[in-house]
Amino acid sequence: MKNTTNIDILECDVIVVGSGGTGSQAVQAVAEEGLNVIVISKDPMSSSDTKICEGVMTVRESGDIKDTESVLSENIKLAGADLPDEKITSAFAKDSKEAYDRLRMNGLRPSINKDTEKPKTLAIAMGGHNKSRSVGHKNSGLAFGHNIWDTIIKYKNVKYIEDCWFLEIIKSDNNKLSNDNKNIVVGGLAYDACRGKLLIIKSKTVILASGGLSTLFFPKTDTMRGNTGDSYALAIRAGADLLDMEQIQFLPFCLASPPSYEGLLAGEPATASFLGVLRDNNNKIILDSVYLRTRAECSEAIMRAVEDGRGSPNGGAYLDMTANKLAPKSGEYFMKYLKGALPSAYNNARQALGKKAGNAEEPWEIRPGAHYSMGGVRVDEYAKAFKTSKDINNPEEIKGLYAAGQAMGGLFGANRLGSTSLTELAVFGYRAGKSAADYAKKEKITFDDRDFDESIKYYDNLFGSNGVEKIYKLKLEFQKECWNNIGPARSEKKLKKIITYIEKLEKKVKNVKINLERKWNQQFIDYIELKNMIYTAKSVALASLKRDKSVGGHVRLDRRASSIFSKPYSTVVNFDSRLGFKVTKLPRTRTEFKRLIIYKINEKSRLLKARILRYLPLNIRDSIIEKKYKKILGENKKVIKIEPGSSAAAPGESQNITY
Amino acid sequence: MEKDEFITLKLELFRDNKKKYVEYNYIKRDFDERPMALDVLLQAQENEIDDLAFRYGCRARNCGVCTIDVNDKPRLACRARVKDGDKISPIATLPKIKDFVVKRDGISRQMQGYNNISIKNNLNVEADHSYHNLTSCIECYACLDGCPLHKKNNLEEINNNPYTYGNPFSFLKLQRLYLDPLTPEKEKETIIEKAKSLGLETYKKEYNNLKIKCGVGINLKDEVIKPLLKVAFGDQIEKKNK
Repeated sequence: MKNTTNIDILECDVIVVGSGGTGSQAVQAVAEEGLNVIVISKDPMSSSDTKICEGVMTVRESGDIKDTESVLSENIKLAGADLPDEKITSAFAKDSKEAYDRLRMNGLRPSINKDTEKPKTLAIAMGGHNKSRSVGHKNSGLAFGHNIWDTIIKYKNVKYIEDCWFLEIIKSDNNKLSNDNKNIVVGGLAYDACRGKLLIIKSKTVILASGGLSTLFFPKTDTMRGNTGDSYALAIRAGADLLDMEQIQFLPFCLASPPSYEGLLAGEPATASFLGVLRDNNNKIILDSVYLRTRAECSEAIMRAVEDGRGSPNGGAYLDMTANKLAPKSGEYFMKYLKGALPSAYNNARQALGKKAGNAEEPWEIRPGAHYSMGGVRVDEYAKAFKTSKDINNPEEIKGLYAAGQAMGGLFGANRLGSTSLTELAVFGYRAGKSAADYAKKEKITFDDRDFDESIKYYDNLFGSNGVEKIYKLKLEFQKECWNNIGPARSEKKLKKIITYIEKLEKKVKNVKINLERKWNQQFIDYIELKNMIYTAKSVALASLKRDKSVGGHVRLDRRASSIFSKPYSTVVNFDSRLGFKVTKLPRTRTEFKRLIIYKINEKSRLLKARILRYLPLNIRDSIIEKKYKKILGENKKVIKIEPGSSAAAPGESQNITY
Repeated sequence: MEKDEFITLKLELFRDNKKKYVEYNYIKRDFDERPMALDVLLQAQENEIDDLAFRYGCRARNCGVCTIDVNDKPRLACRARVKDGDKISPIATLPKIKDFVVKRDGISRQMQGYNNISIKNNLNVEADHSYHNLTSCIECYACLDGCPLHKKNNLEEINNNPYTYGNPFSFLKLQRLYLDPLTPEKEKETIIEKAKSLGLETYKKEYNNLKIKCGVGINLKDEVIKPLLKVAFGDQIEKKNK
């Protein structure tokens, strides 16, 4: 090992990568067992998607005692187009209450329903979820942010290092204890930017809690900057399978301008209300009955217009809600609804687009934005990571590697019900921690310094790379390519284009300039993140190519929508340094036809009713809509808050509808 | 380039352990654009200083990491509009690491182990609004500016050591725990002891001259400092100035 002044050696039982909601729950689970934890966080502790989210969480039975585990589990599976893994959806349903109570023990304080002695749920059974089970919180995600923070600093056996980039999971090449010696985690390598050191961390286990990939599309995203696909890139380089990586949730109505607001959420399909339509640059209606459409349908309409050259100046379309506003009787109710249903989104739109737009007197320029990665590391219900060696149906465990939260795959499949990601992190973050603790307690491992040598040499040598390419420029160009080719609108041509682009980019990346400075070397940091983005984007592209129908949160411009007769399957991508990337189909079980058909018929009839409404004479229509608003707004005219990303925000994606 | 196509800003960078001033011409993307400080930093990195170091996260005033000083006052870079002639520098109240990046974790480290609440409680108890007012804090550290206690810390050091003296944020954390309906009376004593050990008494002396401002509008003096002083030292604060 050369150059030891720049290297520190640490040891622990469990490394947790990431200090958001998932990381904090993993930390708690391990710390409770009395083991030593090191938390590695590239952003300041707790500054995560959890902190900036809407703060609404799925808690089973919170609104309805008939909300059994199987009801919730099936709800998720059906919404995910049968791609979710039933063992994982069951674990989610089983633990959700307990997981929520754990957060409350740490200081999360919801409003309490005095009659039921339970936390207040958000809404009447309003779409999406087939039961009322979403609990909202004052100050949204910030309430969770405080909770994460408190949890991580609570325990004495937890050491956290922020401003630290986790570079690589290290597996054993020399461990003689086992026959499958290449599948044992022995620690990780990290870059402590504040002190300018590489950290060798010897540990039997690594938990990936490092979030999603939306920064591939920056600035066309409403999530945290740090989502550079680290979880997926680290896992796939360590040999793990990645599941359903093509399944990225795009929210259709994000802001397209001005630049400081680009990507932030402006509204959801439900925002459009009864008379909202989408228009192209020629003022032609490209989608009606917007409030009943799925996000994918909205994104598709917008992106098809853009592809045909009919898009708005900033590559989107117009959400026109003026008809709602102009209606003599119901107009006033609409404005209440618009302002109250999604307050943070409305404020973004009002600030960005001005007063007239805020009053719905002129259309809003909107464009889809990346929100969540539903795919991720292939894990079991205990958050253990797996890899395929021979049989795709019988993968083998990577000993000591775990993933949870947005990093994991297998829970949501092709669509995510609203308010479920906070539950996902609370359930599986904690499960990952317990699994890692169990393993670390019983397993004996001999650490061999040589296991780290190759990685240290590689990263150490990057300092002072004397090439000509500027990493930051490469990253910006790459983000544009990702949007154009693996964004909300894809085609075989686009996917092949980005794969070729990535091959060229990989060559350029070998010829970059990184200065010698050790302390907070921004070029080195950008390099690491770009490298992770490349692995992730390639996985997304390959998984998308394997999907032969249009399914999920994006649209395939060149493929038909998947029908209920199609056999569901997940995609699995893995990587081997000798053989490169490989992508395979993993068959899934289909929900019985009867239920699927009922679901489809409901969908069609809702749309038909909405269309009829639009063509009624103005005064009749206005009265009908007025009644509908009264029903939604309730007796006291208080608007029920809708959560962005939820199915209540896109009733067209839901099974039950109460409009 | 015509004069009205760009605005000129002074960037104060921190490199090789010293300040370095750079003039940057921000190219306006619209004729009437009034960019945020973050837009300026992003463009400067793209066009001229590709190794520029600065923090940002959500771009929507939620995550609290992008705090910088504009004309020597702490602001969130994502929501601070800047104009011709403005100066952007790292926040003056924390140790500088590189350019606009400062070391933040001395504060969280001083709070390690502060939360010892027993978990065997009835959870279905409602917290009142004064508790929730405090959870709107985004941890942007704008409140360090003007804090007489925090500046007693060694603000040059960048090792992973906790700060000795408190600040409005750490007291906010303590007050929130104090207000939590599930905090037992016994534990409340510990909280006050912790506040004292962080130097709460300084606030007592300087209360009337205390000028601390919250980045998201929490009334720190009335909702955090005053109630803590009252419990800790019993006496009333005479004058209330917002």
